[in-house]
Amino acid sequence: MSQYAMVIDLDRCVGCHACAVACRAEWKVPVEEGYRRNWVKRIGPVATPHGLSYTFYPGLCNHCDHPVCVDVCPVDPEERTFKSFKDGRTKKMTIKATYKEPFTGIVLIDKERCIGCGACVEACPYHARYLDETLDEPKADKCTFCFERISRGEVPACVKTCIGDARIFGDLSDPNSEVSKLVKAGARRLESKVVKIGPNVYWKGKKKDIHALMSAFAPMEKTWEEVKNGPDRLRRSLIKALV
Amino acid sequence: MKRRDFLKFSASTALALAALDMDKKGGFFKAATSYAKETGSLPGSLGAKEVPSVCEMCFWRCPIVGKVKGGRLVKIEGNPKSPANGTRVCARGNSGVQLVYDPDRLKYPLKRMGERGEGKWAKISWDEALDEVAHNMDKVRKKYGPHALAYFDHGASAEFTREIFKALGTENYSSEPAFFQCVGPVAIAYLNTMGFVVSGTRQYIDMANAKAILLVASHIGENVHVSHVREFIEGLSKGAKLVVVDPRFSAAANKADIYLPIRPGTDTALLLAWINYVIQHGLYEKEFVERNCIGFDKVRAAVKDYTLEWAAKICDLDVKDIEAAIKLLAENRPHVAVHPGRHSTWYGTGDVERHHALSILASIFGAVGQKGGIYFPTPVKKAHAHCAACSEEHEIEEPDVSLRDNFPFVEPLPGTPTGAIIEATLTGKPYPIRLWGINGVNIIQTIPDPYKTMEAIKKLDFIYCEEMLPGETAIWSDIVLPSATYLERYDALYAYDGLTPYLTVRQPVIDPPFEVKTPYWIAKELAKRLGLKCFTCENEREFIEEELKELGNSLEKLNQKGGLITIKPNPYRSPDKLEMPTESGKILLYVEDYEDEDLDPVPRFVPTPAPPKGYARLIYGRVPVHTFSRTMNNLWLHNEWPENHAWINDQVAKKIGIKDGDEIVLENQDGRRSNPVKAKVTPGIRPDCIYLPHGFGSKSKHLTKAYGKGASDQFLITKTVTDPFMGSTSKRTNFVRILKGEKALEIPELRPVPKEIPRFELKRA
Ligand code: SF4
Ligand code: SF4
Ligand code: SF4
Repeated sequence: MSQYAMVIDLDRCVGCHACAVACRAEWKVPVEEGYRRNWVKRIGPVATPHGLSYTFYPGLCNHCDHPVCVDVCPVDPEERTFKSFKDGRTKKMTIKATYKEPFTGIVLIDKERCIGCGACVEACPYHARYLDETLDEPKADKCTFCFERISRGEVPACVKTCIGDARIFGDLSDPNSEVSKLVKAGARRLESKVVKIGPNVYWKGKKKDIHALMSAFAPMEKTWEEVKNGPDRLRRSLIKALV
Repeated sequence: MKRRDFLKFSASTALALAALDMDKKGGFFKAATSYAKETGSLPGSLGAKEVPSVCEMCFWRCPIVGKVKGGRLVKIEGNPKSPANGTRVCARGNSGVQLVYDPDRLKYPLKRMGERGEGKWAKISWDEALDEVAHNMDKVRKKYGPHALAYFDHGASAEFTREIFKALGTENYSSEPAFFQCVGPVAIAYLNTMGFVVSGTRQYIDMANAKAILLVASHIGENVHVSHVREFIEGLSKGAKLVVVDPRFSAAANKADIYLPIRPGTDTALLLAWINYVIQHGLYEKEFVERNCIGFDKVRAAVKDYTLEWAAKICDLDVKDIEAAIKLLAENRPHVAVHPGRHSTWYGTGDVERHHALSILASIFGAVGQKGGIYFPTPVKKAHAHCAACSEEHEIEEPDVSLRDNFPFVEPLPGTPTGAIIEATLTGKPYPIRLWGINGVNIIQTIPDPYKTMEAIKKLDFIYCEEMLPGETAIWSDIVLPSATYLERYDALYAYDGLTPYLTVRQPVIDPPFEVKTPYWIAKELAKRLGLKCFTCENEREFIEEELKELGNSLEKLNQKGGLITIKPNPYRSPDKLEMPTESGKILLYVEDYEDEDLDPVPRFVPTPAPPKGYARLIYGRVPVHTFSRTMNNLWLHNEWPENHAWINDQVAKKIGIKDGDEIVLENQDGRRSNPVKAKVTPGIRPDCIYLPHGFGSKSKHLTKAYGKGASDQFLITKTVTDPFMGSTSKRTNFVRILKGEKALEIPELRPVPKEIPRFELKRA
């Protein structure tokens, strides 16, 4: 089983916002308050214990190991057969309207079944989702790691446009992938004691910049309610153990 | 003075167009996108028809592909064939889509109905509009002579009509604010020392292969030109050390090994002390200097009194830090990228000198023509179709008193200082200027003292513009000609002569909408009406084909190769055979021509006045998602960065009771006030300056997104000093204090000014 992941190298990032705009273009994300799949936030210049920092938070959905957004989805589970785009293997799984795709670990939304209740939007501690109310029937939306593109041999739109080559995308289950190496070398994810749901986006950079990023954007509050019934008891108990 | 024949250089030894494929294998997966044809209904931009073209969201002109689905432009990506940017474009490049579909776009020719500046128009036909422009040009020329016509231009759209103004015989035909308000001083400095424009549109500085990089106030990263940024990042990722000198802690400063928060206006003091230190400590490349430089001894003598201790006091820096910085740079010679800088119209006096000093530092490090230093452009063979301009030779007869007369070093460059044109328009002296044509430039938000510019416009018999959006230029014009965007037209071949040279072409990705026309069509129609033999081709495509034919190519062949061919770079030279494109073939550290004009042949430090008590110096710069004042109305870019913030030092803010996010107004030394703007309180700026990103605070109601958002730096720049070399106008010679509510807050002086630096004196009413 693969787990796709992204490492963002803040030493190579110049904060140009190309990634955020390319994503909006690729997926026709409407321009409305809070509507985005991919964003760049600026941090500082601010004092840190390691010196002055002026850095960026290029962010997107973390495709978490324990996606609380999936847990809170109230849509009735339904069985679905998934097929790996790499080797054609299939797997059956019961899913709600939002789910973690079994072959890539990418968290996706089934737009046909999404009822637009916004529970997942509320639950995500990273504010990675938005509810698209410009549609006749509102639907949740967020980053898909460009599943539609990578399954057709392309790279994610943000990776393709990144002018500093700061965004490294790959498979964490492959120990030789660049992402695996960078994670082993100490790339960090946005977590706190309270919020530890196994995000799969990592940042690397100077100590001062990582410090500034963590202080400004590591989620400190639990934004979701535990859910009693669901298909994935094991994972939920895991989350409970963590929080 | 002798004319510097820098043009000779670019036209020298033409390289055959070797179609070397230098594609980088950058992809994570192999791309599966089809080329040229649209395929089925795939998600996102997949399966779109891809048309190779050239970006013009800024003048860097990255090669792109426009992706079209169902006749609609859906996305723009970098041209994968491009050795400079590959598939990458910046946020602005990505947002070209929203320039095309901006609902505020100019759609039809317009005629002014209300007062100039009011923005009230009536729709008219192309014939009426062109007749009126041609009639007025002819009338003014006949009545007042050719020099009564002035043309302000910028970018690719402006080039055809420029030929018409030239053909009509005015000396005021290329009054590029890009030159006189931006790169003028740096261009002149390097032209006179090294014989070519090391920094003009391009910067020929090999950061990608440098072992150390020096940036003096260049905020690369906030100032985004894709290949330039990529070379900077490549150099750093390969371990280059970085020294950044800037009163503000910029995105580039954040990446520095040594950051020097210098007192504004004292950069030359630091550079001269560094040059002296390098010479005194023998940290220069002796052989290189002996072989390739003229005037070393004169430089040595001229800088001998500039010590690091003195510089530390003048520049308000720690002497240990400036010594560590120069050692770090010197250790890595000759592979040191002493960045020449770009925007350099800072203080009026001393601007050329500052860049002259930078060129001396680079030269004594031997960092010219070597890996990591200043490099040579690779000549790219060009062709000139007869119908891309006017076919007859037109002599421009200089007037008895020329607006260029006072500026001895403006000569090698076309154009008249914008400041001089505005002054002449206002006063009628030395000759009247009665008509302005404007193309691709926002004259109100780009030229200092917009109040004066507006007064000058009121004096004109006629003013027209060619524009895409109804910004300030349009609302001040009598006739507005709506122009096609770069995505809707052919216009020229583009050669890049930097580290990754290539030849490509701009071609339409989609058709021009509404009644908009291409710049070539407009110029052709105007020429016809003026009885000029210009632009005799049917259209742009015809002359592009003609030029390509001369190069043994064609549009079809070029497009089969993805719209671009790469050329083998030739940036370096042996230090034994540098052969600079100067008369002597050497670098002139000491510029005799300057002496002939009573200017300093070796830079000298002349302080610029410090802020008056209670004020801070206004400094400005770029944000990465906007180009000048041109893109603020773009839906996507506006969404990323709708307004600017005024950066205020945290200690100053605390003393005067300003909190981060407070709404304030800035008031300058002449009592001019800004729009309300939010304060950004940060330790990342010196207490003696306030920083305002450029281009915001639009005054045109027709730009429905940008209008009134943020504050305009230009409207606070009312005091200028004119450069004596080529007549550029300074922009960092203005001072502001803060108004909160109606209360004026005096800026406390936290960094005392030494007595060597005079203080600006306020004119109190
Ligand atoms: S980041 Fe938020 S939306 Fe994305 S998987 Fe994690 S919890 Fe869900
Ligand atoms: S495109 Fe790359 S360099 Fe630009 S902001 Fe995004 S991650 Fe940073
Ligand atoms: S730097 Fe950006 S805006 Fe300028 S030409 Fe390149 S992609 Fe276009």
